[in-house]
Amino acid sequence: MRQNDRVDWLFVVPLFLLLIIGLLNVYSASGSQKNLFVHQLFFMLAGVVIFMGASVFPLRFLEESAPFLYGVSFVLLLLTIFFGAGPAGRWLQIGPLNIQASEIAKLTVIVLSARWLPALRKESVAGGVPLYLLAVGVLTILTFLEPDLGTAAAIVMIILGMIYWAGFGFGWIFLFLSPLSAAVSSIKFTSWMIFTAVLCWVLYRSDSKAGRWVFFLVMTSIIAAVTPSAWGLLRPYQQARLTTFLNPEADPYGAGWNVIQSKVAIGSGGVTGQGFLNGSQNELAFLPARHTDFVFSVWAEEWGFIGSLFLLILYSILAWRILDGARRSLNQFNSMLGAGTAIFIIIHVVVNVGMTLGMMPVTGLPLPLITYGGSHLITEMLLLGFSYNVIRNWRSY
Amino acid sequence: MRSVFSFSEKPYRSLLIIIAIVFILLAGKLVELQIIEGDYYRELSSRNHIRSVVLPAPRGIIRDRNGVVLADNLPAFTVSLVSVEFDSVNTELLGSLLRMDPDELGRRLEAADLNPYRSTQISSGLRVEEVGRIADNLYRLGGVSVDVLPRRRYPLGISFCHMVGYVGLADSTRIFEGELSGRTGLERIFNNRLMGEHGVIREVVDAHGRIVERFQGGDVEPDPGEDIELTVDSRIQLAADSLIIATGHPGAAVVINYRTGEILALSSVPGYDTNLFIGGISSESWKGIINDPGKPLLNRAWATAYPPGSTFKIVSAAWLLESGIVDENTMPDPCYGTFHFAGSDFRCWGTHGRLNITGALTQSCDTYFYRTSMLGDMDEMAEFAHGYGMGAPVTGILPGEVSGALPTREMLNDLFGQGGWGLGNLMIASIGQGEVLATPLQIAVTAALIASGGELPPLTVLKNEPFSDATWETNTSEETYRIVREGMRLAVESNRGTLHRSMGSLPVQVFGKSGTAENGPNEDHAWVNGYIEEPIPVAFAVIIENGGHGGAVAGPVAAGIIMKILEISHEAE
Repeated sequence: MRQNDRVDWLFVVPLFLLLIIGLLNVYSASGSQKNLFVHQLFFMLAGVVIFMGASVFPLRFLEESAPFLYGVSFVLLLLTIFFGAGPAGRWLQIGPLNIQASEIAKLTVIVLSARWLPALRKESVAGGVPLYLLAVGVLTILTFLEPDLGTAAAIVMIILGMIYWAGFGFGWIFLFLSPLSAAVSSIKFTSWMIFTAVLCWVLYRSDSKAGRWVFFLVMTSIIAAVTPSAWGLLRPYQQARLTTFLNPEADPYGAGWNVIQSKVAIGSGGVTGQGFLNGSQNELAFLPARHTDFVFSVWAEEWGFIGSLFLLILYSILAWRILDGARRSLNQFNSMLGAGTAIFIIIHVVVNVGMTLGMMPVTGLPLPLITYGGSHLITEMLLLGFSYNVIRNWRSY
Repeated sequence: MRSVFSFSEKPYRSLLIIIAIVFILLAGKLVELQIIEGDYYRELSSRNHIRSVVLPAPRGIIRDRNGVVLADNLPAFTVSLVSVEFDSVNTELLGSLLRMDPDELGRRLEAADLNPYRSTQISSGLRVEEVGRIADNLYRLGGVSVDVLPRRRYPLGISFCHMVGYVGLADSTRIFEGELSGRTGLERIFNNRLMGEHGVIREVVDAHGRIVERFQGGDVEPDPGEDIELTVDSRIQLAADSLIIATGHPGAAVVINYRTGEILALSSVPGYDTNLFIGGISSESWKGIINDPGKPLLNRAWATAYPPGSTFKIVSAAWLLESGIVDENTMPDPCYGTFHFAGSDFRCWGTHGRLNITGALTQSCDTYFYRTSMLGDMDEMAEFAHGYGMGAPVTGILPGEVSGALPTREMLNDLFGQGGWGLGNLMIASIGQGEVLATPLQIAVTAALIASGGELPPLTVLKNEPFSDATWETNTSEETYRIVREGMRLAVESNRGTLHRSMGSLPVQVFGKSGTAENGPNEDHAWVNGYIEEPIPVAFAVIIENGGHGGAVAGPVAAGIIMKILEISHEAE
């Protein structure tokens, strides 16, 4: 046990630095609203306590609690769809708390996949793959309906990464992705034909039994047949939201404007930055959503290329340490949990930073540990606590 | 090298490589923005002015079936202002150049302050000369800009005021102030198609509000609105208008091609000039329209229901034949001018003697319908007439279209209470009086259905685009159509026919039915409906409000419309 108690400084120091950066940045970005900084400080302290709790929490209990977590997420997502409040209707108000159910959904998908995927990989449980797809698919669709397209897309990417980590080949990843691909391919008959041809080839290559052939062909055909009418059921503004996600130039008056301002802020940071509390784009309130979605632009303007690169390196080190721990872990669930967390962090960083640089569509995905807000910070600290647990207890079987 | 479990080194390595690649991509973009283009962005940031300029999409043009323009766009200019870039010491100069009331200008400047970084419209609809004064002084007026914003124009505004309608400033500006949206008529119901998508460019503006350069990237070209081609023939509609105006009464005329369902004319007289409404109507013009005794805002063609009078007899005759109450040879007791029933006098407009159904249609004998309809069922007649498009909107899309009315037991019980009405209501309804109400469009549809044998396609005013796929349920046999058509033919051709004098001498065969609808204490409404087969298959209806006798007043208007159609088709040959 002594070996397990050694502190992994390469994990702890970047985490600590990221939290400090988050606080400094929220202080700068919140302008005159200094109460935001106080809130963030409180969230951070709560996050640290949760991190420490999670790092010693018996992970076997977490594995066992996957169905319970699933039920909680399901109910919270449904409640949010019907009673959601806040600017985009994504918050659930319970007493004084504003809960973002989509954050809990991400956590649930990671825990559920960590428990389920290794079993599916090792022995072919009858109906296991369809059941897994159904379970995570329902959570993804509920998140999508919230409406939170960005988080739904992130969930899909996390699932794909974890499938890959579990040792499924690319053929399997294609099969796991087939419901989504079927829906997208139904736009045109020819694209659906091509999709179905590839599906058949993959099924043939994986020596599938008749049951699997039937399941995938029937399921994807039904999805492809239903998607166009489901699309027709969406209201025009919902369709617009989807097409804007896929093609942000289509909305040059709203989201496009924000991205241009963000690029100006980042670019004006230059090599060394304008200095703490000196970013003119930020201080003149020219940057939209500057303590939430575009928080990276504030950092990049004030700390320049050096600061931006430093931030990216901190995230990389954190992700590398978690993946390394996951690789060494002797417990399948622990390994999957760590990998899921690392993928979670990477996807959020890439999507959020990519958005501020104009390389990714505008979504509401937070920058881990930096963006103002309690729900995502608590979720991240919880997952990072579990990951640190995995790193230290890699020998536990 | 495989570990105890199925996890291998491979996913670990690939994930690390993927992480490295995406982080290199992000870092590369940071190098581009912060190091290579850093000075450029720092320059932009220090000036901090990028502004969006909307390029309005030209609104779609509306034309009639022959390409005659009913609505198009005239070049015009607007003067706009970005509040943060405007120095308020220039307010007086701006006001004098625009020749604008200082209070009005002050209100506009306050509105501009609400959205300080966006361009706000100060004055619109300016001509070249007016805008020239401003353009010459733009160098002194930082933050002020002159833009082209097309103005809507309606060349035939008065005739098409109800159908085409007009545009006004949008209630909620989606994108920029000064945006137009359809307020009435087709301009309103097809607003989304006509509107198009506005474009946008971004300009870098210096501290004095002058444009330095276009900001690269993110430009969107405006996408012009869709042009709309109508089935209406403006020549027929204008001819109908002037024929109705010549009677000295308000009125309406409808012409439908009963083989295609295309509406060729929807005339409602008097009209008003829709051009007055663009950019806000003056209170004088508005008062003039409101106080006009002819009520020009009233759309008489499809948004007003009248008692149809005897024009309804083509439907009630078809119902009498179909329900088996009469056949072609049935001759009820003679018409003595008044029919006594249940202690009341049911009057006929003449003394017609003994008639069969074609004779009753030819001479429009009310007694024949009293004596026969009393054997029928009120709800069955309403159901039958409903199949002819009565009692419900016939297009379901024309704005403000009304249903008209058909009496049923339920309706009369609601109106008069159980037992408060009797067989008399059915007898009166069978001659198109009492509780029967219909729009001229509906009355034209009944004639079109008789003419086409129930095969009238769904109505439309859009070329090659039916409004709906609804079909008509006339439940009428070929034999019945033949008998009713014969009655309509004789109404024109027989020297006893009610339309013989006004339409009997036309160079084509006309099938028609007149109507003289009683209208309370006021003068009767004069009606006619009918159809021709040559040179083009059209059905028509005309009403002259309080015009008096249908054959004498509405008949000549319909005859004039038919002559116009003949003239047009001769020209085409």
